[in-house]
Parts: sequence; C-alpha cells; structure tokens
Amino acid sequence: MSDETNGAPGRFAIGISFGNTSSSIARINPEGKPEVIANEEGDRQIPSVLSYIDGEEYHGTQAKAQLVRNSKNTVAYFRDYLGKDFKSIDATPCHNSAHPQPHESTVAFSIVDSTNEAPSTVTVSEIATRHLRRLKQSASDYLGKEVNAAVITVPTDFSDAQREALIASANAAGLEVLQLIHEPVAAALAYDARPEATVTDKLVVVADLGGTRSDAAVLACRGGMYSILATAHDYELGGSSLDKIIIDHFAKEFIKKHKTDPREDARGLAKLKLEGEASRKTLSLGTNASLSIESLADGIDFGSTVNRTRFELLSGKVFAQFTGLIEQVIQKAGLDVLDIDEVIFSGGASHTPKIAQLARNIFSEKTNILAPSTFASAINPSELAPRGAAIQASLIQEFDKEDIEQSIHPMVTATPHLKNAIGVEITSGEAIEFKPLLNAETALPARRLAQYSAPKDGGDVLIRVCEGVREIKVTKPEPKPKEEKPEDDSDFDSDEDEEEETREIVWKTEKPIAELAVKGVKAGSKVELMVHVNTDLGLQITAREVGGQNAVRGAI
Amino acid sequence: PALSEGWSAEKDFKAVGTLSGATQRNLEPVGPHFLAHARRKRHQRTFSEDERI
Repeated sequence: MSDETNGAPGRFAIGISFGNTSSSIARINPEGKPEVIANEEGDRQIPSVLSYIDGEEYHGTQAKAQLVRNSKNTVAYFRDYLGKDFKSIDATPCHNSAHPQPHESTVAFSIVDSTNEAPSTVTVSEIATRHLRRLKQSASDYLGKEVNAAVITVPTDFSDAQREALIASANAAGLEVLQLIHEPVAAALAYDARPEATVTDKLVVVADLGGTRSDAAVLACRGGMYSILATAHDYELGGSSLDKIIIDHFAKEFIKKHKTDPREDARGLAKLKLEGEASRKTLSLGTNASLSIESLADGIDFGSTVNRTRFELLSGKVFAQFTGLIEQVIQKAGLDVLDIDEVIFSGGASHTPKIAQLARNIFSEKTNILAPSTFASAINPSELAPRGAAIQASLIQEFDKEDIEQSIHPMVTATPHLKNAIGVEITSGEAIEFKPLLNAETALPARRLAQYSAPKDGGDVLIRVCEGVREIKVTKPEPKPKEEKPEDDSDFDSDEDEEEETREIVWKTEKPIAELAVKGVKAGSKVELMVHVNTDLGLQITAREVGGQNAVRGAI
Repeated sequence: PALSEGWSAEKDFKAVGTLSGATQRNLEPVGPHFLAHARRKRHQRTFSEDERI
C-alpha cells in the first residue's frame, strides 16, 4: 500500500506502462485500489508521441495531432528502438513521422527541437527520457507529490540491452526503476489482485493486442505465482492493422466520388490515419461511426459513416490473425484449448468486441474470456498493464534496493516445476477416476489440501496418491446419438456439441506414489488429505478424517 | 477414497513410487505470493516456519 508516512526514505512509486503507441501511469489510491492517472489533458492512454514547434515540446495527444502538419519534428513509435542498433529495427511505423537514423551504436532522430533552425540529432534514449519525464510530471502534478520511482512494464521478448537502455532512460528522467515486469504478468496480476478474486491454480492466456504489435503468452498460475510457459509475438499486427481497413474503406469511397486517392498525399494519409483510428475506436463502443475530414485531398472536405457489421466483414482476415496468434501460443506451450481456464484480453485493440467473441468460439464454455464484450466486470483492457505495475510498485516500494535485487535474482526465480500432476485415484464401483490435487507446472515447494467424501457407509478408506497425466479424448459422433457412458460425465465434460466430435480432458494415472489407510471413518464424513512437495521432489503426505484426531503421515 | 480389504502397512502408510522428475522454469518475480516465496527462499524457511513469524 502506498502509505504516505513510512517507506523507504522519500521514495514515491507509481506504475508505468510504456508502449510504442501509448503509455499509462497508475498508482494505488488511498482505498488501496489501483487507479490509472489521467494527464493534464485528461487522457489515461497517453500517446507515446513527442513533437516540437519553435522549441516548445508537445506530448501525448497534442503531439499526435502534429503528425499532420509537423510530421518531420514529431517522434512516435520509438519504444521498440531502445537499446537496439539501426539494422535490427523495423522503421515502418515511423513512415509518417520523424524517421529513425543510425547514430553510433544506437538509433536517433533528426528533429528541430529548439528555436534555431538547424535540426539536432536526438538519440532514442533521450527521446524516451523526455517522454518518461513528462509522464512523471503528469503523475507528480496529479498526486501533488514528487514521484521518483516506478515499476515499468516491458514485453516478454525485451532483450537485456533494451532493459538496460530503458532503465538508463528512466534514471535520466529522475525515476528510480524498482523493477521491470512483463506485460502479460502485469495484466494477470491486475485481475488477480481484485478483492473478489480468489487464488486458484489455473492456466491463463494473455492476449496483449497493441497498436503496432501483438503479443500472447501462456501463464501457469499456481498458488498466486506465475510462470510463463510460452510466448508468441506478431510485430505487424495490432490496432493499426484494423485502422488500415477503415482507411482503405474510406479512401475507396473518396476515390469513387472525387477520382483522387487521399492516401497518396502524405498529409491526406496522416489525416485519414488520425480520424480512421478514432472511427475504429468508436466502433468498439457503438454500432456506427462517422468520419469527417476537412480538406482531405485537393481541398475537398469528406464526410462519411461506417457501421460495425461492415467493419467486421472487412476485418475478417485481420481478426483471424488475432485468434491465430492465440491458438499459436497455446500450441507452443504444448497445450490444448481445453486446458485454458482464462483468457485475458489486454491492450487497446482488445476493446474490439468481435475479437473476444471469436475467441469465445475457440474455447470451451468453462473458459473465462475476460474482455469487455464477454465478461461484465472486465477491467478496461488498456488499463491492465499499468494497474499491474502499480500493484507491484506498491508491494516493493518499501523494500531496500538490495532486497529487491536479491528477490528477483535468478537464484530465487529459477525453481523446479512439477512435470506431472499429483492427485488421488478415486474408485467408485467399476470406474477408476483420477482427481488432480497439484497440477503440472506447479512451482516447488508447494502444498495443497483437499477434502474427499468417504464412501457412504464409512469404514476403512484407502487413499492412493498417484501421478497423473491429462489426455484429450476425442469422441466421434455415432450415427445414432446414444447416451454418454457413465465414465464420461466427469467434471471435465466439455461442451456437448450436437454434430461435431466432442473433445474432453480425461486423466490417466501415470504411476502410484503412496497408499494411505484411514481407518474407521464415520458414515458420511470426509477425509482430508495434505500433500507437500519439496524442491528435491520429496513428499510429505498426511491424511485424516475431518474432525478426527488421528492422522496418517508418511514421507517419500 | 476407496474401501480396502486385506490391505496393511506399517503405520497405515505405504510408499509405492517416487515423482518422475521436474522441469526447471523461471517464476515471474511479481505479485504478493511470489514475494512471500522469495522471502522464504532467501531465509531458507519452510511454510510453517514462515507462518509463525
């Protein structure tokens, strides 16, 4: 909690999400909830753009507006250039703003940022510093207190050089970087830190659909701790791919009427981009969006509307790329869509209702799709990363620097994870069923407690602790639909499709670990089992009747 | 749990196997539960020792 009275001397931390397209700042408010801070223009998603006119610096939305009239002195989409050399960057997003140039071992922009006419060479690190300084200023102004530390979110594929460059830029802006955390983990934390959320073991896919790039990650969430199982990236997919569809749609309409292509004129294209993006965002909320641009090309004004159905029709291919990215990351993790318990949509493009609806069709009914159009109490996807960062910032801001460094050291983070699930075999009549207690990919040491109901008439109970693996069972539809076999209706029943084949998760016992007998269990009571796994794979198992005194213990 | 007949073992516990290995992975150093884990690991405490403090 960001307690104002104590903490490390004079440290006041916020969470920052620093994106190519936009950035956000967040803090923990006095009620203990994360809250995204608006800048002085009232924006919570602050465009990561800087622009200079007559030596004056413009930032955020004001700077973005300069992309039309003052594109040469406007710097945008620079986050991914940090800590990289010129050869390894993709300069396409900067086509309509100041172009990146090679400069020594890094990337720089040539812009007129002072009152004299000669352009100066500003490195991308310096640009990032200026951007972060403005973010820091906005937060300080809002909070009435000097902000001097931050937790910043970064993509999972950020290299060490990029991390170092970002930390150096932040330090130069007067911000102590407490920690760099990964964007998908920040998003998961933002959801799990809600008071109504409970800590459960689950597999989560975080789809971070940004402006110019999209990332997906599979996280194993076990006992509130996260491990990344797989990541996938698409550097050409994002909100701008959807903007392009809108732009092309309107441009064609314009050509039909006036016989000139507004996209051929740099200024016309910049105007279309700005307004097209606004229309696309409107379509995420409403079913109709209008666009009107003064003097789009050849001095002709243009006004038109587009509805959501048409937009969705035109965007089919791009939507498929988004869902393809999600399917790809699950495959990369060696998992099936049935394994996924939660899909978190994060990033600006996640506001698009159709994308979440398409994801809904991919996953089973049990899977929670956390996006505004599919989940009533979903958190604003644009705010997930900054909220997660703010939560983490409040957790560690009172630690000493040394403590933080020690805690995030690989010695601590490298941990053995269970390969197979551990569970209990339950026999009822003929059927033998495996119920997982500790799931695969659980970080060790770990312990779990569960209660199982004893047979109806009580007596002696045998508990078989086993290792299990999950398999996907495909049931082909039979010509004449019969009733499902009794062993099929486990808890893991997937949706029962009418004509399609049904796929479901079944657990197979891989090998037994231990057997325990709890004797003289009363009728109708329950047996409690605790399994503790050490880092060296040793187990301590305890079983007892609920409310009973005698426990059966054993170690392996 | 299942009924058993003619089953016996010392102190009602019988070990029949071991776990089949683990994979080394990196935890994400984020969130309250990780911080608790890091605290335990740095001070070499167990769960129950940690709870007592």
